[in-house]
Amino acid sequence: MGSDIKVQVKNLTKKFGDLLVLDNASFDIKKGEFLCIVGPTGCGKTTFLNLLVKLIEPTEGQILIDGEPADPKKHNLSFVFQEPSAFPWLTVEQNIRYGLETKKVAEGIIKERTDQIIGLLGLEKFRKSYPHQLSASTEQRIVIGRSFAMHPDLLLMDEPYGQMDIKLRYYLEDEVIKLWKATGSTVIFITHNIEEAVYLAERCLVLSQKPTTVKSEVVIDLERPRNIADPRFIDIRQKVTDMIKWW
Amino acid sequence: MKTNILKNKFYLGLSALSVLLLLLAWTYVSISGGGLIPTPFETFKRFIELLYKPVANGTIFIHLLVSLKRVIIAFLIASFAGIFLGVMLGWNKRFNAFFGPIFEILRPIPPIAWIPLVILWFGIGETPKVVIVFIGSFVPIVLNTFSGIKMIDSLLISAGKVLGANERQLLWDVAMPASLPAILAGMKTALGSGWMCVLAAEMVVAKQGVGFLIVRGMESGDSSLIIVCMIVIGLVSALITFSLTKFERKMCPWQTR
Repeated sequence: MGSDIKVQVKNLTKKFGDLLVLDNASFDIKKGEFLCIVGPTGCGKTTFLNLLVKLIEPTEGQILIDGEPADPKKHNLSFVFQEPSAFPWLTVEQNIRYGLETKKVAEGIIKERTDQIIGLLGLEKFRKSYPHQLSASTEQRIVIGRSFAMHPDLLLMDEPYGQMDIKLRYYLEDEVIKLWKATGSTVIFITHNIEEAVYLAERCLVLSQKPTTVKSEVVIDLERPRNIADPRFIDIRQKVTDMIKWW
Repeated sequence: MKTNILKNKFYLGLSALSVLLLLLAWTYVSISGGGLIPTPFETFKRFIELLYKPVANGTIFIHLLVSLKRVIIAFLIASFAGIFLGVMLGWNKRFNAFFGPIFEILRPIPPIAWIPLVILWFGIGETPKVVIVFIGSFVPIVLNTFSGIKMIDSLLISAGKVLGANERQLLWDVAMPASLPAILAGMKTALGSGWMCVLAAEMVVAKQGVGFLIVRGMESGDSSLIIVCMIVIGLVSALITFSLTKFERKMCPWQTR
């Protein structure tokens, strides 16, 4: 603990009227950490995310980034939605540049980061293409690239690969790790796919049924690239699955 | 490859055949109609004549330019005003609450119903024609712009927000481009409706313009003149739509598939 803590979530509680949705959730995220959050379906995950990006205000508790209360105007909070959200009227390159342009980043840096992201995604030949000319998975990759290009203080990803088939998911998961390592961003990745969580995360938070609280955490210190057939991998996956079971 | 060319030739042949049949039917009706309807050949002759021989101090070309000028001036004003109002109605809840009902009351009135009042207010010069065309093209632009803004995928607005766009950037960088196809579609409808309104206005009172020529043809029992004007109106409309479609493709390259 200490100065390498990037995000602190302290006693976060959310009530809608009398309905307690999120109950006293507390955890820290280290700078540059890749954290996965898994939980049963309908566990109030969306509320949790909306609180983290300050789209809604908590009833109690707070979120601190670098020791200061999280503020979307001051901090760089980014979000990748479940559905691809590339701007259809912008080319691949313009999409990746967009967030940097709104934040009025210097042109030299915009160009450098855009080139880096396009290179990492291997989208060089699609630079001038429009999203509709590409597949849905490529569109989602552009959106992810666009978020990483901003070097966010905190990047939240809400089941970004939820709609894709298993083979593609492995490829995209490797890619997201590549982007994360290259940009050093702090990532919270939400998924209900336990295997995906164990494949990606340095640490995995397991949420409970409603009212949601952080049930436990699992540190995953397997070396990368991870092998899903590795007995240690299967072990951790089983452990997380057991924690999630509510039946 | 070869069968494709053959197929295309076949379809082209079918189109040519339909036009030929129409001309034949037209000729037949005019010959058996006892001179009430001119033959296609007579109409064509009248057209050539109109190109150099003026009717009411203007060739058909001059009359066409006069009508087009009225439409274009009114259309440009309607585009600016209509897009502005449509965006405000769609984007700003308070503005919509205040101005929305007035617009809703005025919207269903057919533009042609305004002609008598507009003539009473503005006389018989150029202004009343421009005003009528303005009314006719303003409404479709407002409506399309409004629904274009209303129907923006909320995901795109959220994406803009999380990428740090402020309210102004959300409007200019997200809402406007997202609704541009709808706005352009509205402009296309507006131009068609404006072209219709200019004819109506000119048919009521005017000294020049294609609508005036049609009335002149009716008054002097010159059916060829009327038919020439009708064909010219149709061709100009088609040309306008064609150029707007081209413009649309240029403005929205992401829409072409």
